[in-house]
Amino acid sequence: MALLEVEGLTRFFGGLRAVGDLSFAVREGEILGLIGPNGAGKTTVFNLVTGFLRPSRGEVRLDGRSVAGRKPHAVARRGIARTFQIVKPFPGLSVKENVTLAAFLRHRRRAGAEEAALAVLDRLGLSQRAATRAGELTLMEQKRLEMARALATEPRVLLLDEPMGGLNPSEVDVASELVDGIRRSGVTVVLVEHVMKAIMRISDRVLVMHHGEKIAEGPPAEVVRDPAVISAYFGQGRA
Amino acid sequence: MRGRAGAAAWAVAAAAAAALPLAVKNSFFLHVCILVLLWTALGEAWNVLGGYAGQVSFGHAALFGFGAYVTAILYLKAGVAPWWGIPLGGAAAAAVSVPTGLIAFRLRGPYFSLATLAVAELAKLVALNWEWATNGPTGFLITSLPPLTLFGFAVNWESKAPFYLAALALAAVSMGAAAALSRSRLGAFLVAIRENEDAAEAVGIDTVRAKVLTLALSGLLAGMGGGLYAFYFRYIDPDAVLNIGISMEMVFIAVVGGLGTVAGPLVGAVFLTAVGEAVRERFQVGHLVFYGLFMMLVIRYLPEGIWGRARGLAARAGEVRRGAARG
Repeated sequence: MALLEVEGLTRFFGGLRAVGDLSFAVREGEILGLIGPNGAGKTTVFNLVTGFLRPSRGEVRLDGRSVAGRKPHAVARRGIARTFQIVKPFPGLSVKENVTLAAFLRHRRRAGAEEAALAVLDRLGLSQRAATRAGELTLMEQKRLEMARALATEPRVLLLDEPMGGLNPSEVDVASELVDGIRRSGVTVVLVEHVMKAIMRISDRVLVMHHGEKIAEGPPAEVVRDPAVISAYFGQGRA
Repeated sequence: MRGRAGAAAWAVAAAAAAALPLAVKNSFFLHVCILVLLWTALGEAWNVLGGYAGQVSFGHAALFGFGAYVTAILYLKAGVAPWWGIPLGGAAAAAVSVPTGLIAFRLRGPYFSLATLAVAELAKLVALNWEWATNGPTGFLITSLPPLTLFGFAVNWESKAPFYLAALALAAVSMGAAAALSRSRLGAFLVAIRENEDAAEAVGIDTVRAKVLTLALSGLLAGMGGGLYAFYFRYIDPDAVLNIGISMEMVFIAVVGGLGTVAGPLVGAVFLTAVGEAVRERFQVGHLVFYGLFMMLVIRYLPEGIWGRARGLAARAGEVRRGAARG
């Protein structure tokens, strides 16, 4: 059975249908790439799955139990974590405190939470920066901090919203390695990304959205040859 | 100040403060001390929500006034003694703050602040017009206080000493509560909420619950402050205890002292009460101009507050010293 199931997910903003009747499933241990042109509704899907938006219709299930319409903190507790496309650190707090706050979700006592936070920082290569104020990090480090904070909630599914946006090519390689490492540690990943090189390399499957709907789904190599995908990206008549 | 040495220093300071009425008989001076301590407690009440959690309330007079009215009504209509009535007034203010918070915390930032302003105005209108319960604009006059004997001494309600000790106890409880909160998990959550509310939710913090719990604590402290005010001044009416000026004073004290610090409201209350009394003596008319000027200077040059700045400087000096020792 799939770990994360989305069924008939729909969301209207006024008269605009941002996401329409979207269904997909993510198997345990895989990386699903979610791609599509700007405004396709990818971030809206993340917001719907993690409780930041209420679905107009549809169902989201983790391990068979519905999480649709629950508050974000409740969804996080169930085991779905996310990062934000535009990073949202706790800027005035140290890197360690940022991650410790997330680790409190599974550790009641501060000592335990701090220990878990340091372990995550170590995994993501942020230990050197533990005492630095989060607002002073570089963009690359802030993107990593987003991931570290999400991982500290000990999720089963991690939704990454453009973890490589704004990074240079060599940083993208490092970040890809990092995402793959997260999957190997047993966390299922859904990845929204515009950097095609990364998506193609690390995704097991790719889902393509356009105007809030799914237009293709499958292994990366097949999807890029799909005429519907090509016309969505490059316009009609190019396929 | 950190750890055991800090706690010991505070205990000594509290003991010295408690002994003050034995040494000082000047009743004006004690009156000013009572005001400082009362405003410290109220500043702490506001600061747990506004300073730590970043939820700026402009309506805390509602909680203060509610506590004052509940305490006064319990005493005048049911004979409940002050030492029970003041905590009950605080508990009542905490109780009403829960449903209010559940509604008002649906709003964020300036919208939340405006909602608190509206709640306070509503509370004042209710107090003015619900004459059956509140006596309307006439308010309540407390003519006599119940006899009380403590450790073999009959308490003299005409002196300042018992009120001074009560205000000191309330200020100590408020500072203790703020200190405990700042070290707790809830306190850490509040700082996360202040820094970025979406991110706080995303890492599993129930932000509404955290804010409502904190508002309830804030209401408890502000309500007890209101109850103490009622017995000290022995007169309350809507204009005295539900005035927007009270809400603003709580904000100013926390801002001047240092937002989100335990000692900040104490420092802020000392400075603002001293400045207020000093200029009031010299300038009968227009003394608030100087008060406002002082506020502007602090916000412009000390945005982290007097205590906040002092703490920052001390921390930097410590770093320099450690650096010198190492290098």
